[in-house]
Amino acid sequence: MTISLAVIGVSHHTAPVEIRERMAFGSSEASRALLELREELGVEEAVLLSTCNRTEIYLSPVRPETDLSGVEALFRRKSGEGEAISPRHLFRKDGEAVVEHLFGVCAGLDSMVTGEAEIQGQVKEAYERSLALGVDPPMAGPVVNRLFQTALSVGGTIRAETPINEGAASVASVAVELARKIFGQLGGKRILVLGAGATAQLMVEALGREGVRGILVANRTYERAEALAERLDGDAVPIDRLEEALPQADIILSSTGAPHHLLTGARFRTAFPKGRRHPLLIIDIALPRDVDPRLGDENEVYLYNLDDLRKIVDEHVALRSEAIPEAERIIRGGMEEFRGWYASLQVVPVIRRMRRQAEAHRAAELERLFGRLDSLGSEERGRIEEFSRRLLNKLLHDPTVRLRKGMATREGADLVEAVRFLYGLEVPEENDEADGAAAGRSERSEWAEPEGEDHPGGSDAPARSARNPHHGAIE
Amino acid sequence: MIHLLALLFYLGAFGLWLHFLMKGAKGGGPKLASAVAAGGVALHALALVDFWRDYGELPLVGPGAALSSLAFVGGVALLLTLPLRDAERVGIALLPFITICLGVALLVGIEPSPLALDFQGTGFVLHVAFAFLGYQGLAVAFAAGALYLVQHHELKSKRLGRFFRFIPPLATLDLLGRIGVWAGFAALTAALGFGWAWTVANRGSLEFADPKVVWAVLSWGVFLGILIARRGAGRSDHRGALAAVIGFAVVVGTYLVLRLTVGGDGLFL
Repeated sequence: MTISLAVIGVSHHTAPVEIRERMAFGSSEASRALLELREELGVEEAVLLSTCNRTEIYLSPVRPETDLSGVEALFRRKSGEGEAISPRHLFRKDGEAVVEHLFGVCAGLDSMVTGEAEIQGQVKEAYERSLALGVDPPMAGPVVNRLFQTALSVGGTIRAETPINEGAASVASVAVELARKIFGQLGGKRILVLGAGATAQLMVEALGREGVRGILVANRTYERAEALAERLDGDAVPIDRLEEALPQADIILSSTGAPHHLLTGARFRTAFPKGRRHPLLIIDIALPRDVDPRLGDENEVYLYNLDDLRKIVDEHVALRSEAIPEAERIIRGGMEEFRGWYASLQVVPVIRRMRRQAEAHRAAELERLFGRLDSLGSEERGRIEEFSRRLLNKLLHDPTVRLRKGMATREGADLVEAVRFLYGLEVPEENDEADGAAAGRSERSEWAEPEGEDHPGGSDAPARSARNPHHGAIE
Repeated sequence: MIHLLALLFYLGAFGLWLHFLMKGAKGGGPKLASAVAAGGVALHALALVDFWRDYGELPLVGPGAALSSLAFVGGVALLLTLPLRDAERVGIALLPFITICLGVALLVGIEPSPLALDFQGTGFVLHVAFAFLGYQGLAVAFAAGALYLVQHHELKSKRLGRFFRFIPPLATLDLLGRIGVWAGFAALTAALGFGWAWTVANRGSLEFADPKVVWAVLSWGVFLGILIARRGAGRSDHRGALAAVIGFAVVVGTYLVLRLTVGGDGLFL
């Protein structure tokens, strides 16, 4: 059984940031692109996921041999002028590999930083965008719906049950985690920024997201301090008045280019002649260091330099890596579940054909019987017809129920093959796949169909095909 | 039987916290541990009500009954930490104290003392109830202080391992320690006042050489010492945490020494 899915796109594995940034879709842009795929290429189901690390389009139904040059052309148009996107930047996966890929993406296994949390929300956002597109049939159809719902559930389970996202995994997030573990709530805390390094700015922004509001900036050049303070919505402090600024700070981020220690024990004691009552977190990411390392011996000071932070990041990344086998086990479970569900779609056309064939035999036999027994009145004929219908339904009831149940198991595909062989249904009919997709789309009504149904051949596939002229066009 | 069930629930909650410390507290894990502890407290309350119905007196006199009530107050104190984010994790340090108290109570037998009739009246009940509140306040301060010192060590050693991830922020532990000490100090002061008034009213005068009085006054002094440690120049929260740990050890140690040496009348000390 081939799962009729494909993903095509660029990611940090295949394309440098110069390409990825040109491939990034904003929310409304992504919606427009999806509509374009529907209108121009007849794509039936699609989700466009665009983050800083990847731009991927998930498509269904698509077979491995399907030409996706139309989608590639969309990427080329998006990349625009400059360095052209080439086939080596694009990747494509088909069938089960798509399921495995998306589950891994959702769990953060495919991220630059293993286990990062944002991707789960980004996947959800992309899926909801397709759901909200308001086209008929919906862009998030049965297969894509089930795929993304299972992916989000798998991602959530992995984050809840494994340490895949434990411990901060970037220098800036380590700073935030340290601040949280010292101060608890960061609202109302003040940061003193020494220097105007890019990493320090990143840290200030990360801490700002946690509620830190008061920002003081000190720099050798006062004008630069003022400029940075304005950008960070803080206040500038002349560097020669550092002793006055120190008591106001709970966190110090230092990243100047000073050739010597800027924050020495003497300066600290001048600022805190009676010692400091509350903890002070100092992050010194300058090289050479701005802060005298001996300050770390002060009881109230928690001092971390760049090497300390990197060591912490490395330890956390190692911890996350240890969770990968368990995460992969959960992914395999999710894939099994999706495979079972997908296989159950395949059984619907087989059941319909099996019933249609039996119904045809019943009708033919009745006709032959009534031809021989002309003396029968209409009441007797009606009773015999009723009897034959009941007998047929009873005979087909158990195989049908068992077949549906069996599809949820690993042997599901073999069961379908066996039924096809036993009933002589090996040659697929034209509408088989449409029947399967329809079963997924209106799964509840289809699966709730009574076993004694009077219209076994009552598929709505032709009607739906007429409503959706693009159905299957990508194939 | 209900007491034993409560003990099992407390042990279960402690086991869960230990598990979360070793494996990481994910998802609804901490809520589960708190729910198990809450189950223990509810069962414990039922057991104490049963005691009151069976014997017609509050479980305040006699080592078993008093230790059980003391453990119950500890359980309630643990539940009171729930509104503070992550503060319920002090359960990992507080639950052993609660389970030891209840375990010993079960070993010596939770039943009224034959001398219990001498110890009656509102003044006595208030004295004991406030004393239990005071000692559990100290126990909470100890638990918060102990975790504070471990977290401080983690931050200083820059290891940021499982203890770092499990233990609440320093600020939360400091706040919890402060609440424990101040509430405990106020309760123990009230307990001493009620105890003195009850003794004077019922026995004429207070016997200062009585081991119970020695221990109570020493405990009050320990509280005072912790509060003084929290004041003054330099880092008060760290000093306060250290003082709470040492103070709790002194109070428990003194109790054991007095209990094993001078013994008293077997009612509580």
